[in-house]
Amino acid sequence: MSEPDYPQDLRYTAEHEWVRSGDDGTVRIGITHFAQEALGDVVYVSLPAVGDTVAAGDANGEVESTKSVSDLYAPLDGEVTAVNETLDATPELVNSDPYGEGWMYELRPSDAAAVDALLDVAAYRDTLG
Amino acid sequence: MTEAALLHSPLHDRHVALGAKMADFGGWEMPIEYPGGGVVAEHTAVREKVGIFDVSHLGKARVSGPGAAAYVNSSLTNDLAKIGPGQAQYTLCCNEAGGVVDDLIQYVRSDDDVFLIPNAANTATVVELLKANAPEGITVENLHDQYGVIAVQGSLSDEVLAELGLPVDHDYMSFVETTWEGLPVIVCRTGYTGERGYELVPAWDATPTLWDALVEKVRERGGMPCGLGARDTLRTEMGYPLHGNDLSPTITPVMADAAWAVGWNKDAFWGKEALTQERAAKSTRLMRGLVVTGRGIPRSHCEVMDAGGAVVGEVTSGTFSPTRKQGIALALLDRSVALGDEVVIDVRGREVPAQVVKPPFVEVGVREA
Repeated sequence: MSEPDYPQDLRYTAEHEWVRSGDDGTVRIGITHFAQEALGDVVYVSLPAVGDTVAAGDANGEVESTKSVSDLYAPLDGEVTAVNETLDATPELVNSDPYGEGWMYELRPSDAAAVDALLDVAAYRDTLG
Repeated sequence: MTEAALLHSPLHDRHVALGAKMADFGGWEMPIEYPGGGVVAEHTAVREKVGIFDVSHLGKARVSGPGAAAYVNSSLTNDLAKIGPGQAQYTLCCNEAGGVVDDLIQYVRSDDDVFLIPNAANTATVVELLKANAPEGITVENLHDQYGVIAVQGSLSDEVLAELGLPVDHDYMSFVETTWEGLPVIVCRTGYTGERGYELVPAWDATPTLWDALVEKVRERGGMPCGLGARDTLRTEMGYPLHGNDLSPTITPVMADAAWAVGWNKDAFWGKEALTQERAAKSTRLMRGLVVTGRGIPRSHCEVMDAGGAVVGEVTSGTFSPTRKQGIALALLDRSVALGDEVVIDVRGREVPAQVVKPPFVEVGVREA
């Protein structure tokens, strides 16, 4: 088990997802340490397809452990530009490196400023109680 | 479920100290998995080496008095004439309609003394039924909080027990009553993982010291404490039923492929008439295994369709098999579906292809030397 870790440079959602702004106007999305810890060993990840248009709050994927399944929710309106295909064969990366190799997909937000309206690390930590 | 406080095993403090993730199992707060392990690592430890489980939430009951074994035999389904003192047997407690009130292990100490291990949530019901129907002179006791139960499972389990001076290598489904550090303990060659192993039944208060000693020997061999999450993936890989999922008051032993645990030729057992008719009618759905051939993990209550899209059954237990690294399930299917058939499982709206097989999903190791 790793220590709880919530990087300062990310934005977060109440659904335990993180959002990292890239240099090219896209954002990368994954699930937080808290989420992977609560799920346990991740054994299957179902992601949206490149080109999908998503609306904030839409369920657009699933993360499953041996015991349970959680929906992924789009944190922002936008278009999916990339998905992490390595999770097909190695879903355990979501547990071992949730903010790195265990990322889920990338999105081009329709409103770039919407990222700033997401939770910062302090506000996200508050939701964890 | 009620809001009643969850019951605690005699090992509760041990689990909390280890930082286990806890959950409600039949009214008991029990470990799902431990830090440093996790379901997959704990599962693999049992398959490859050894793992130790606290299953003290399981019920314990005793039926005693002149003819106790004969009384139990006239009530529960399996045939006690097949075993003698020192042996154990898997059996079912059915209702008059043939539905399963509980599945349990019966341990014959003598013709006048039978020890029962029912499921946690069903113990009170089984005890009440046995009490209500007991003839004069037979005593039925609920001993739920008198004993702990520790399962040591895996090919290295003999080494673990032997180092503590506990008896090993007795036959599968037999038990030895012994003492450890002066305290009585029953050592049963049983378990629910499909691996060679033992279940130990010490007195409630003696359970923590025995657990500590066993855990040390398990860890020395590369094994680890395992939670009930791993117990569920292990039992599902073997096709062993879980009461409430694969057996229930509406799922009979005929449907659940558990007819082998019914003594059909006995004079009497609860549900005999209904089950005999159902067995002859050959019309109910049957329990089969499903192996996912695409991607996805079936879960209980997912519908199963044939190639034409017609609903032919329902998943009763489904999980990811850590050994096979694919989705597996137990499902009740129409008799028109044959072994080897390709079917489709509706997993939350997604069509997941699967093949119908006969469990177990992995090789059984319980009888291995």
